[in-house]
Amino acid sequence: MNSIVKTQGLTKQYGDVLAVDNLDLEVSEGEIFGLLGPNGAGKTTTIRMLTGQTTPTSGTATVANHDIIHQPTKAKQQIGVIPDISNIYEEMSAWDNLIFAAQLYSVPKIEREKRAKELLELFGLYERRKDRVAGFSRGMKRRLTIAAALIHKPKLLFLDEPTSGLDVQSLRMIRTLIKELNEDGVTVFLTTHHIEEADQLCQRIAIINKGKIVTVDTPERLKASMEKRQVIEVSFTASRGLEDKLKGLSCVTDVSMLGDKCRLQVDEASEAVPSLVDFARKNSLKIISINTLNPSLEEAFVKLTGLSPEVMKTEKEPVKKKED
Amino acid sequence: MIETLKENVLKAVHIAEKDAKIYFFKGPNITFGLLFPAIIYLAFSVGRTADVSLVIPGLVAMSSLFGAGAIESLALPLERAKGTFDRLLAAPISLTTIIVGKALGGFFFGIFLSIGYMVIALLLPGAAIANPLLFAFGIVLSALTFSALGVCISTPFRDVPQAMPPATLIRVAMVFLGGVFIPLSAMPGFLQLVAYLLPITYAVDMLQQATTGQIFAQALVIDAAAMILFSIIFFVIATAVLKRTLR
Repeated sequence: MNSIVKTQGLTKQYGDVLAVDNLDLEVSEGEIFGLLGPNGAGKTTTIRMLTGQTTPTSGTATVANHDIIHQPTKAKQQIGVIPDISNIYEEMSAWDNLIFAAQLYSVPKIEREKRAKELLELFGLYERRKDRVAGFSRGMKRRLTIAAALIHKPKLLFLDEPTSGLDVQSLRMIRTLIKELNEDGVTVFLTTHHIEEADQLCQRIAIINKGKIVTVDTPERLKASMEKRQVIEVSFTASRGLEDKLKGLSCVTDVSMLGDKCRLQVDEASEAVPSLVDFARKNSLKIISINTLNPSLEEAFVKLTGLSPEVMKTEKEPVKKKED
Repeated sequence: MIETLKENVLKAVHIAEKDAKIYFFKGPNITFGLLFPAIIYLAFSVGRTADVSLVIPGLVAMSSLFGAGAIESLALPLERAKGTFDRLLAAPISLTTIIVGKALGGFFFGIFLSIGYMVIALLLPGAAIANPLLFAFGIVLSALTFSALGVCISTPFRDVPQAMPPATLIRVAMVFLGGVFIPLSAMPGFLQLVAYLLPITYAVDMLQQATTGQIFAQALVIDAAAMILFSIIFFVIATAVLKRTLR
């Protein structure tokens, strides 16, 4: 598969702060690639460098086979950019915003009007096309920002924290759209601090922390790289006083109670399950549910970065302009 | 090559159109572009007997200076603060095209205001323009120079409150030193030297010659060349500063 994004030693320094440190990345054409990391890890700065919004301090990057430093216009013609904060013109109507976006990419007049109509209909904004964007909700502005980024049919889409701070409906719509665009051949490069989002959407993930790439792999391989520890979640007809009894089982290494469920760490799940059935019978209990849990991407992230997953649950401050 | 140039010109025009839609009738533009020149002029001319042939060029040059610059003193820093400027940076447009597009909005606003003030000034008793064609040329060149100056002044700033004070200070200083109220011949020697370093001096001179009909070809060529040269210098500086802010 051809590389659509390739960076070598890409570095960005703001004064004494090293925002991105010697980044080597390769994104293949047609994939959904995620840059996962906490706030301040260097995700937004990476996107800003790759989209020509800020100049790298050192290193090289090619986007759609064009050097972003020496041939920025050619590279930018191939890409769509959706920033973390909607950057549409609030004083203009939804329609005028899309037409202006199309003009910047030299989309011919007839084509841009047709495309603007299609996109406004797709995003459920056609009825509000003449309204000033200032009166739109956050979700509507986000949808319009995405529509503006798609007006010229880019082959590569950069999305910076695409679902950050959105309601569930908009969030689902955007995740579905990302998948559909990818099925239509659009390469997606997204940043996120939602581990679950990266797991659900991305075919490959780069974990970034303090400006450095920690690892790049598929979500499943990242999970598989975890130690072979297995977890069983079991629920009995009664739960009181069970914790100590379960700790007495030879196959169980640790027990924690989660509501009426017991979470057991075991060496080997296939041996532990018959022991649990025996345990239930001897204690006159019935098993209501029993599940084996695989290591999560969150656990892989914690192991690789040493960070608490809580760090990732912090939303960015809704400031108007900042560098990540 | 010609196709690329045509494409860039079109994109610059689209940026100017967008700025016109958003900023032409914003409060600060009305204040700085429309009212400010009139207030300054009234403040310094009431009670003084001014030759009407000096009133028209002074008022028009000043309206062009404040009008053409007002749009970009507002638009550029405001867009940078809001993040909408990133939309232009991420689009396939050269930095020069962005700067030219931004200046074009101010250029048209400057022409619009200059014509407005010219019409008002012509209502004064005895007011007339001897060479309307040259006057129109003067309006166009003045708007070009002052819009380029406006972009140049506002490019380094990322917020309107930061950008407005230096922009206003520079323009007010130019008004007093550039022959709008006091003829150059009445100024002390060193101030005359300063005046020749200011673009407004050449704008006032060209508009004055058009108003009175006393044409000095050599002086006109110098006026036109100086304004074009100033415009190029301002565009080059603005582009370089914009490039630097991306580092």
